Amino acid sequence: MIDALLSALPHVLDPANLFAVLLGTVAGLLVGALPGLTVTTGLAVLIPLTFGMDPLFALGMMAGMYNGGSYGGAIPAILLRVPGTPASVATLLDGYEMTKQGKAAYALQIAVVSGVIGSALSAVSLIVFAPWLVKVSLMFGPAEYFWVALLGLATVASLLGDDFLKGLMAAVIGLLIGTMGTDLATGTERYTFGWLEFADGLDIVVLLTALFAIPPVIQMIETASHQGMPKELLNLRKQGSVLREWRRYLPVWSRSSVIGIIIGILPGAGGSMSCYLAYNDAKRRSPNPETFGKGNPEGVAASECGNGADNAASLIPALSLGIPGSGVAAVILGGLLVHGLRPGPQLFAEHPDVVYGFMLQMLISAGLLVLVGGLAATRIFGQALRLPHVVLAPLILLFVAIGVYAVNNAMFDLYLLLGIGIFAYVMERLDYPSAPIILGVILGPIAESQLSLALTISGGNPFALVSSPMSMIVVTLTLFILCVPLWGMWKGRRSAAA
Amino acid sequence: MKRSQMLLGLAMAVTLGQPALAEYPEKPIEMIVAFAPGGGTDVAARSIAMFMEKHLGNGASIAVINKPGAGGEIGWTALSTAEPDGYTIGMINPPSFVALAVEGKAKYTMEDFQPIGNIVLDPGILVVGKDSPYETLPALVEASKAAPGAIVVGTSGAAGSSEHIGILNLNRSAGTSFTPAFFGSTAPVRQALLGGHIPAATMNLSEALPLVRSGDIRLLGVMSPERSAYLPDAPTFKEQGFELIVTASRGLAAPAGTPPEMVEKLQAALKAAMEDPEYLKTAQEAEIPLAYLDAPAYRALIDQITGELAETWKVTPWR
Repeated sequence: MIDALLSALPHVLDPANLFAVLLGTVAGLLVGALPGLTVTTGLAVLIPLTFGMDPLFALGMMAGMYNGGSYGGAIPAILLRVPGTPASVATLLDGYEMTKQGKAAYALQIAVVSGVIGSALSAVSLIVFAPWLVKVSLMFGPAEYFWVALLGLATVASLLGDDFLKGLMAAVIGLLIGTMGTDLATGTERYTFGWLEFADGLDIVVLLTALFAIPPVIQMIETASHQGMPKELLNLRKQGSVLREWRRYLPVWSRSSVIGIIIGILPGAGGSMSCYLAYNDAKRRSPNPETFGKGNPEGVAASECGNGADNAASLIPALSLGIPGSGVAAVILGGLLVHGLRPGPQLFAEHPDVVYGFMLQMLISAGLLVLVGGLAATRIFGQALRLPHVVLAPLILLFVAIGVYAVNNAMFDLYLLLGIGIFAYVMERLDYPSAPIILGVILGPIAESQLSLALTISGGNPFALVSSPMSMIVVTLTLFILCVPLWGMWKGRRSAAA
Repeated sequence: MKRSQMLLGLAMAVTLGQPALAEYPEKPIEMIVAFAPGGGTDVAARSIAMFMEKHLGNGASIAVINKPGAGGEIGWTALSTAEPDGYTIGMINPPSFVALAVEGKAKYTMEDFQPIGNIVLDPGILVVGKDSPYETLPALVEASKAAPGAIVVGTSGAAGSSEHIGILNLNRSAGTSFTPAFFGSTAPVRQALLGGHIPAATMNLSEALPLVRSGDIRLLGVMSPERSAYLPDAPTFKEQGFELIVTASRGLAAPAGTPPEMVEKLQAALKAAMEDPEYLKTAQEAEIPLAYLDAPAYRALIDQITGELAETWKVTPWR
């Protein structure tokens, strides 16, 4: 492995190939920062353009776009409360609060540093573990995935917000939305009202944008001021150094990275799940969990670090088995194919230069993110906040509308955006949190389809669900997460009684 | 009069006589892809579009428009109702493209389309894990007959996908009773097979090449009339005594009523693109099972698939 790395290094450090990584990172930042446009779309447009290029030049652009895009999503999430990508939803919970408190620069700095740490560790894990970690991921079959989804749903408690009942209702709304669409096994259409557009359920990008981007815009319109964010609040100059406070963030970074890497390796979960799980974990372990969602920088750190750690790790099963761990990894697989690189166990033997070169590029692009994201992009994008609301609100609406239209090239999605957006605004006015909805929409369908698969495979025997050691581990974890608060409540009551 | 002048005059006369043909395309052509960016169909569309632009000449440009949703139905419906002026074409994916029409769900019929040509023919395959007790196709078939319904076959598609219909046809013709398990896409079904969570699976040949070659999965049969050039050692269903042909096609079509001279020009550009050495090299490296068919041959293939599906639908409806 060391030999392969060393022989790949000169190619990777070739100026042209380095430039490709830089180019990809900048493009990724832009794509990630525009709501609706996802890294997947960016890569899909990029891949055909790379025909006939040197494989490492093309792959360098892809690596840069992947890492750049995953940070790019955090910029509008923090500054405007518009999630640039699905994986930046957990970032906005605390990031936007920090912006409102005048700590936008600090929040962005945390996002960059945490994202870089996550991506870099993830790239290292890709290089070191790719051949071995594959075996672990193979232990996950439908039964195990069902339990992982339940584990995710069990963590919903930490997203519920102040009002337990309202949070729970939001989660159930999410689960209900998740049931929309065509049943895989029977072809039955559920809640489609005969509309083709609903046959795949609600598009997650449309839903996210509507839930999180529209309500703040309506609020801006309500309080339309003719001035931008006051100068003293929008301080984009240095506000402390995250690196100097590394002791505070170290535990969050290390745990979030591990979570992101593990989720990345498991196919099907993807970035949005890792940032949620990392966020929940940080909140659960924090001595003051009530400060999360109110501008706790550790929330931003956890979400962005988990999200970054997902990136390269999701390429582990992709490169070594040809099984993509996320939508983006799937597109990168397509890109590899175009260059005659067939992912799979033999790839490492046949093209070590290119594979190890690509993995190194993932690491380099993580480093470049510090430069591009930290120094340039943050300052430039931050200026958006200086615009007065009467200008900013319609501008955001315009960008959001373009982005959402681009997802499926369908007018229908714009009507949906408006409808759900108004619904979300009403919910917000009534103090219902939006985050549990998303968790329900993402995890509900996974739990359902995997349960149905597991039961089909076992011939309807429910005991097959807990027959493997891996299932038992995940079930235990889930029970643990559910029982800890109960234990705390019981203890609290006893001490109150005594 | 010099000869070159004469030729020029002749050329001009032809040009003026048939303006539509000579000038086409005079604006960008839209190519509708009924799947999301980044998928196999999308990558195939974007790459062929690039080379078709080159061979259409006249500064032609083809814009790929993704209209994903409802298993392709949204995009194909949009293609069927588009203006037949030669400026909207689209990728079609029989047999699922045909299945939607056969089951009467789709608003379009095959008469709403004018095929341009076929690009890819990717046969279905039946595979088992490398440690599977089933060494051959007859062994698996016998096992399924002995224990009705007990053997689960993972499919990458949903109900009504080509692979699902393949399993139904096999059950019907060979008297087996394989239970399909729907994974929705290829990655999870491959993983479930590799991890030993399912005994057998169906997928398309191109999706399994590296794993078959590395010996991680065992190929029991290819659902095509002849062996594949990419895996010459893999036996077909036919040579093992089972009549089962399931092939996923990717091709181009225009809305019915598109002027024949434009269809001809598009067909010629497709043919030239698929003979372009640069395209062939990329396709070969990516091991894409290219199979060019001209418009009449593609129409015949679609008709044949329609007939077979209609028969299956009558006996064993898939949803």
